[in-house]
Amino acid sequence: MMLTLLLLPAFIMFGVSFIKKQKAKYLLAFTSFVILLPIVKLFLLPKPYNILGSYLVADKLDTYVLLVSSIVGIGVTLALLTLDKHVKISQKAYRKFYRFFAIFWIGLIFSILSNHMGIYWIGLELATLSTVYMIKTNYTPAAHKEAWNYMIVGAIAISLVLFGIILMYASAKPILGEDAMNFDLLLAHAKDIPSPFLFEMGFALTTIGMFVKMGFFPMNLWLANIERASFYPVAALFSGILESAVLVGFFRFSKIAMAVNYDHLFIFVFVYTLLTIFIVSFLIYRAKDFMRLFSLSGVEHMALIVMFWVSGAPFAALLHFGAHAFLKPALFLSTGVLESNGKYKIAGALRGYKGFKGGVFWFLVSLFLLAIISLPPSPMFFSELYGFGAMIATAKESDHMLAMIAAILFLLILLSIIFYRFVAIYQSMKYEGEIKEKTVYGSELFSLVIFAISLISLLLPQTLAYLHAIS
Amino acid sequence: MIDFLIGLFLASLIVALFTTRLYRLLLWYSLNSFTLGLLALGIGRSIDDNAMIITGIITIVIKAIAIPYVLKNLSQKFHFVRQITPEIKVQYAIMLVPAILVFTFYLSEPIVHMIHTNANYVAVSISSLFLSLLLMMEHKNVAPKIIGFLSMENALFLLGITATDGMPMLVELGIFFDLLMAIVVINLLFHKEELRV
Repeated sequence: MMLTLLLLPAFIMFGVSFIKKQKAKYLLAFTSFVILLPIVKLFLLPKPYNILGSYLVADKLDTYVLLVSSIVGIGVTLALLTLDKHVKISQKAYRKFYRFFAIFWIGLIFSILSNHMGIYWIGLELATLSTVYMIKTNYTPAAHKEAWNYMIVGAIAISLVLFGIILMYASAKPILGEDAMNFDLLLAHAKDIPSPFLFEMGFALTTIGMFVKMGFFPMNLWLANIERASFYPVAALFSGILESAVLVGFFRFSKIAMAVNYDHLFIFVFVYTLLTIFIVSFLIYRAKDFMRLFSLSGVEHMALIVMFWVSGAPFAALLHFGAHAFLKPALFLSTGVLESNGKYKIAGALRGYKGFKGGVFWFLVSLFLLAIISLPPSPMFFSELYGFGAMIATAKESDHMLAMIAAILFLLILLSIIFYRFVAIYQSMKYEGEIKEKTVYGSELFSLVIFAISLISLLLPQTLAYLHAIS
Repeated sequence: MIDFLIGLFLASLIVALFTTRLYRLLLWYSLNSFTLGLLALGIGRSIDDNAMIITGIITIVIKAIAIPYVLKNLSQKFHFVRQITPEIKVQYAIMLVPAILVFTFYLSEPIVHMIHTNANYVAVSISSLFLSLLLMMEHKNVAPKIIGFLSMENALFLLGITATDGMPMLVELGIFFDLLMAIVVINLLFHKEELRV
C-alpha cells in the first residue's frame, strides 16, 4: 500500500504529461506536491518500516533523504512553470521533460528506499538514463553532445558500481547465500565475510563509480559541462536529488566497509576527497559563469559530506547534506534570473531588481550565496565545525594526530580560496556592472522561499535531534 | 565446452576492436552476446540453477537478436556512418590488446584465489570490461560507443554468472529492464536529432 502511495504521484505525472493543453503544466506542478503526502506519512510510521519485504525498507536515513528530495522536487517543478520565460523551450519538450522526471522519480524511490544492493543499482541506473533525455530537452548542439557524454560517462560510472556490487556479493555469498545482497544482513555479518579483501576491492570500485558520478577527481569538469549545456532545472535536479541518491548508497556501502576494515576505508576515502577538493578549489577560482561555479561548489560540498561521514561525524555529514540539498538547487534555479544579462556576465547580476518580488529575490539569493560558503548561522557553518571536530577526535584515537592536523590546515587553506572567490563574485554581482531591470516571477520566488524555510528548519532542535538519532 | 565458449566470448570482443564496418561490429556483438547466453545456459545446467537458464535464454533473445536488430534498424533510419575506423592504429592495437589481457590477469590474481568456482573466468570478464572500455575510447562515432557500452554490460554479466554462480533473478531482470530503457533513450536521442534537422 505504502509503495503504491509513493509511486502513484509519479505515475499520475507520467500520464498527465501526455495532455497537450497549456494548463496541464499547473497540474504537473501540483502532482509534485502530492509526492510529499506519503513521505510525511512514512515519517510518522515506526522505523524500520518494511515497504516491500526486505527489499524496500524505510529507516530514519531513507525517510530524511526522501523528504529532502521531495522538497527539492517541489521547488524544481515550481520553477519549471516559468522556464519558458527564461529559455526557449517547446511545449513538446516541456511535457517530455516531465515524463522523464516521473521515471527519474520512480528510479529514485527504489534507489533511496532499497535495502538491496541490486535494487539500489537498478533504481540509480533508471534515474541516470532518464536524466539523459532531460539534458536533451535543450535543442542545442552543445546539449546534444553533453547528453551523449552523460550517457557514456554515466554508463561507465554505473557499470563500475555494478562491478563492485558483484564482487561484494561474491565475497559474502558463501555465508549469506542470495541474502548477501541485503544491506542490513551484510552489515550484521560484516566481521564474518570470508574474503574481506574481495569485499574491499568491490567497495573501492563501487566508490570510484559513485565518485565519478558526483564529479570527484579525476572527472571534475564533466558534470559542470553537462549542467552548463542543459536547462538550469536539470542542474537543480542533479545536485538536489540524483547526487543525494548516490550519497545514500555511499553511506550504506561505507557502513559495511567500516565494519570490515575502518582504517583502509578511511585512508582511501579521505585521500580521494582531499585530492578532489584540492583540484576543485582552483577550478572554482577560475570559474567564469554561475552554472560552473555552483556545479564545482557542489562537488566540493559532496567531498566534504563524504569526508565527514568517514571521519566519524555522521551528524555533521547529514546536516551538511541537507543544507547542500536545499541551497544548491535554490542557487541553480536562481540562475534563470541571474543570467538575464548573458551567460558569462557575473558583474551586476544582483542589480536591477525592483519592487517587492525583486527585493525578496535579491535578499534570498544573497542569503543562499553567503550560506553556501558557510557563514554563520548557515547550517553548513555548524556542520563544518562538527565535522572538523570529529576529524580531530578520530585522529586522537590513532597515531596520526599530526597528519590529521596538517590535513585540516591544508583543507582550510583550500576552503579559504573558495570563500575568497565567492565573496569576490558576490561583490561583483552587487556593486559592479550596469543596472538593468530584471523580472522575477512569482512561482520561482515561491520555490526559493520554500528552500529558505527548509534551510532554516534544519536548525530547529527537533531536526537536529532527528539527525542525531540517525547517526 | 564452457572453456571453448569463454574463449569465443573473448575472441569476438577482440575482433570487434579491429572491425571497421558498423554491421560487422553488430554481428560480433551479437556473437558475443550469443556465447554469453550459451555460457549462462551451460553453467546454469551444470549447477542446476533454473534462474540462470532463464537468464541465458533471455540474453540470447534480447542481446543476441533484438538489440542488434534494433540498432541495425536505427542505423538505417538515421543514416549512420558505416565506415567506423578506430582512432588507434591497428599495429598499436595489436600490442595494446595482449597488454590489457596480461595486465588484467595479473590484476585479478588476488581475487581469483578467493573465488573457488570458475576462477579464471573472472579474469576473463575483467579483461572484457577493459576491452569494452577500449572499444568506447577508440571510436569517435556514437554507434561503436553504444556497442562498447553494451559489451561492458556483457562483461559484467559474465562476472555475475562466474564469480557468484549467478546473481538473484530479480537483479538480472532489473538489469535487462535497464538495458531496454537505455535502448529507448538512445533511440530518442537520435530521434530528436532527426527532428531538429
